[in-house]
Amino acid sequence: MINFHPELAHLRAFAEGTCPTNLALMISAHVDLCPRCQAITMQAQEEAGLEVFSGKLNAADPQPDFNDMMLQIMQTPDVEAPVLQPVNNMLELDGKHFALPRALARYTHKTGNWSRLVGKLWQAPVDLGQDGQANFIYMEKGGKVPEHTHKGTEFTLVIDGQFSDGLADYDCGDFTIMDSTKKHMPFSEADEGCLVFTMVDKPLHFTSGLARLLNPFSQLFFK
Amino acid sequence: MLVGIPLESKHSHAVVPKDCADEMSSYLVLVGQSRCKRSFAEIFNYFAPRLRSYALKQMGNEALAMELVQDTMSNVWQKSHLFNAEKGAPSTWIFTIARNIRFDMLRKQRNRKEDICADDLWPVLCEQTADVNEVSLDEQITLQQLGIIFEDLPKKQREVIEAIYIEGKSQQEVADQFEIPLGTVKSRTRLALQRLKEMLKDND
Ligand SMILES: [Zn+2]
Repeated sequence: MINFHPELAHLRAFAEGTCPTNLALMISAHVDLCPRCQAITMQAQEEAGLEVFSGKLNAADPQPDFNDMMLQIMQTPDVEAPVLQPVNNMLELDGKHFALPRALARYTHKTGNWSRLVGKLWQAPVDLGQDGQANFIYMEKGGKVPEHTHKGTEFTLVIDGQFSDGLADYDCGDFTIMDSTKKHMPFSEADEGCLVFTMVDKPLHFTSGLARLLNPFSQLFFK
Repeated sequence: MLVGIPLESKHSHAVVPKDCADEMSSYLVLVGQSRCKRSFAEIFNYFAPRLRSYALKQMGNEALAMELVQDTMSNVWQKSHLFNAEKGAPSTWIFTIARNIRFDMLRKQRNRKEDICADDLWPVLCEQTADVNEVSLDEQITLQQLGIIFEDLPKKQREVIEAIYIEGKSQQEVADQFEIPLGTVKSRTRLALQRLKEMLKDND
């Protein structure tokens, strides 16, 4: 059951094509998992279409001659429909297979190797080019990310399983945005553990106990 | 030359798309079915100038705006057979095409590595345009063929296959049951069948 959705303004911006690419990628993956947000996005697209194409043209605004363009378009030969290649969306870790949302399917190949971190955690970085870096993080049952706060923003989407973080419980499909006002400690008690897809724009800041020693290295871990 | 195509149809300027949606829908269907140039002219004359206003606002420059109009309307011409009038209005369909082209144009312009493209971001929503996930008959396999290898499928794919092929549910019913989008049911079915086929091959 999905309880955490992107906020409405972000869904609208996504539908209109105006939200930042990294957020759009997260929302797209969430929308693939969430019928509610899919419906909202469709609705927002419909509204955007009406807004763009409604109304009279401004007579004061001289229109270019579109005739040549139209004739040229109508003379283009039919293109053969491309044969759609099936997409492999299975991500593998240690013998376990996870079906990724379609927006993330391309990263099944682009994930670097999984590396095992402290605390029953696994991490596979995903290079998004100029849009930064993302990570698949897998928490085995009992796996814990040390308590931390955020210097920037952290997007998290649950792809499989469940986890909690002291603030709430999250299920498959849940999407959250954490910022510097929130301190949390993600952990999973689910039998099958929990796979999340996450992005941070600044390194995490670990807040408690020995984990504070991690701070100088937190870039290596989660960014 | 095309003679007899009125450049300004009588509907071009005065109507909002809500009111002319049915009319535009039927023109689009005609273009899709028979490459009807007269119908395309109706669509073009209504949408192209409005698209230009949108494009000017978005791209801020006449040349890029006209490129966006041209690319979008070319797509409308070439992909009109994918338009499904039951799933939405022409204004929605054409907007989504323009939005995706704009996104890719802007990324190219900024010299972004094109690793994230519009088709990745808005795939499910483009189903209005295509049933690419429909499972064709030759992709289907009989139950006897499934045998024991069935157990090797990932759980989520197995559930969907069970519901469809053993319980005989429709894809829509399965979507409702698991509270997942229809597109996800379709893609899981397709992936599962592919995987089963591969496994069958390996077993031969
Ligand atoms: Zn949602």
